[in-house]
Amino acid sequence: MVKKVLLSLLLVLGVQANIYEKNCVKCHEKLPVSIDKYFYKYLLIYSSQNDMKHAIINYLKVPIKETTVMSDSFISRFGVKKMTTLNEKELQEAVEFYWQRYKVFGKLE
Amino acid sequence: MLASRSLGTDLVYSEKQTLFRFSALYILLSIIIVSAFSFMYYELQRDLMLQEKKSLLQEYAKELIQDLKHLHINFDKSQVYPRNENYTSAIFDSSQKLIFSTSSTKTKLDKILYLEDGVIHLVSIPESYYLGAKYVIVTMLDDRVWFRETIESIIIFAINLFTIMFIIGYFLLHLFLKPMKDAISLLDRFIKDTTHELNTPVSTIVANIEMIDKSLLDEKLLKKINRIDIGAKTISNIYQDLTYITLGNKIISRNEDLDVKQLIIQRIEYFKSLANAKRVTLSLNLVKNTTLFIDKNKFSKLIDNLISNAIKYNKIYGTISISVSEKSIVVEDSGIGIAKENISKLQDRYTRFNKSSGGFGIGLNIVATIAKEFDLKIDISSQIKIGTKVTISW
Repeated sequence: MVKKVLLSLLLVLGVQANIYEKNCVKCHEKLPVSIDKYFYKYLLIYSSQNDMKHAIINYLKVPIKETTVMSDSFISRFGVKKMTTLNEKELQEAVEFYWQRYKVFGKLE
Repeated sequence: MLASRSLGTDLVYSEKQTLFRFSALYILLSIIIVSAFSFMYYELQRDLMLQEKKSLLQEYAKELIQDLKHLHINFDKSQVYPRNENYTSAIFDSSQKLIFSTSSTKTKLDKILYLEDGVIHLVSIPESYYLGAKYVIVTMLDDRVWFRETIESIIIFAINLFTIMFIIGYFLLHLFLKPMKDAISLLDRFIKDTTHELNTPVSTIVANIEMIDKSLLDEKLLKKINRIDIGAKTISNIYQDLTYITLGNKIISRNEDLDVKQLIIQRIEYFKSLANAKRVTLSLNLVKNTTLFIDKNKFSKLIDNLISNAIKYNKIYGTISISVSEKSIVVEDSGIGIAKENISKLQDRYTRFNKSSGGFGIGLNIVATIAKEFDLKIDISSQIKIGTKVTISW
């Protein structure tokens, strides 16, 4: 039973990682600002897990200047990203993986 | 006050009751006033202390937020939460979920500055949520100096206020009790004067009737003289009872070896006219000559009350049997009887369960008082419409 649960969890994480790596990291690697910096920008504004995830997903669905957390100079230089091609479920999984990787909870000493 | 002392328990009781009620109300009122003032003063002192500590805590919070900002920027390099020996802290996100804490106390986020479990808390909201922290709580231990000082002030205040209230209360109590004391004093004087004024004429009537040679009188006149005799003796008994009640314990007992048999014969003779008026037969069963070391007048009062009650509450053509043994006197009548539940209340002053006959309800109270003084035991058994049996044993 425990094995089954662990296997399911690994499978889910594997799927999430796959979506995140393929669809998020792939593009961000080309930018001079590492992907974790965006996370802390969001955290600075939205604070909680739910608010932050909600804001990221909304931006990914409708990326406009008005809702970006990045500075004007950054947007002027690199522009606004293209609209996501991921469906709702994939978006949720990718953002969940992103949260789990960079969240502050449990990391402070 | 005079009457309350001389009349025994009741007036003292009423005075005590008034005193107790007034004192209880006054103390309660004083406690409420002291508590209310103390509470307000305590709250004020606590708020003052918190305001004094607020600026210091704000400094600490500012310092912490700066450190959090630094940590936020460099989170990929360090995850060590900023600590300071002067304070402990905690950070919460916008959903009030704890991110990290160095404090062990429970935190409330709906207040800005508060004291809880001896710890002062300041809740700050930074402009930017570094590390996602919307609420930054800085806490420091309360040194309790203000608390000790406040308690000291409250105790001094309470003592002073209670002293003032006590002095005012003392004068107020005297003021309130004065009309009652005056009324009691008036009643006291009235009873004393009345009883004293009654004594001489009643004694004269009784003595003169006893001196009349009744064998020389014709039947009609004898009847009239007997009625006068009964009336005078009734007044005499009431007078004696009232005197005993009024003087109470002030009457010093002069104990002597008393021939109980002789005394009872005398008292039966005394009450004969009363018993005859009600056609009550008095039978005497004297087993032995009994001697008691007792005050004659008081013991006589006890016997008088028992016989008087036995006549008063008897039926027409009833019987009274008086038995004297070595260790007891038993007075048994064929009267109206007393309900079982009322027997225990019989010895209370002014207790009467039958209003058909006159009286003040003080007879058995006098019996009880005398019996108590001379360590005599009273046992009352009764059956409604059959009769009452009173046993005095020693």
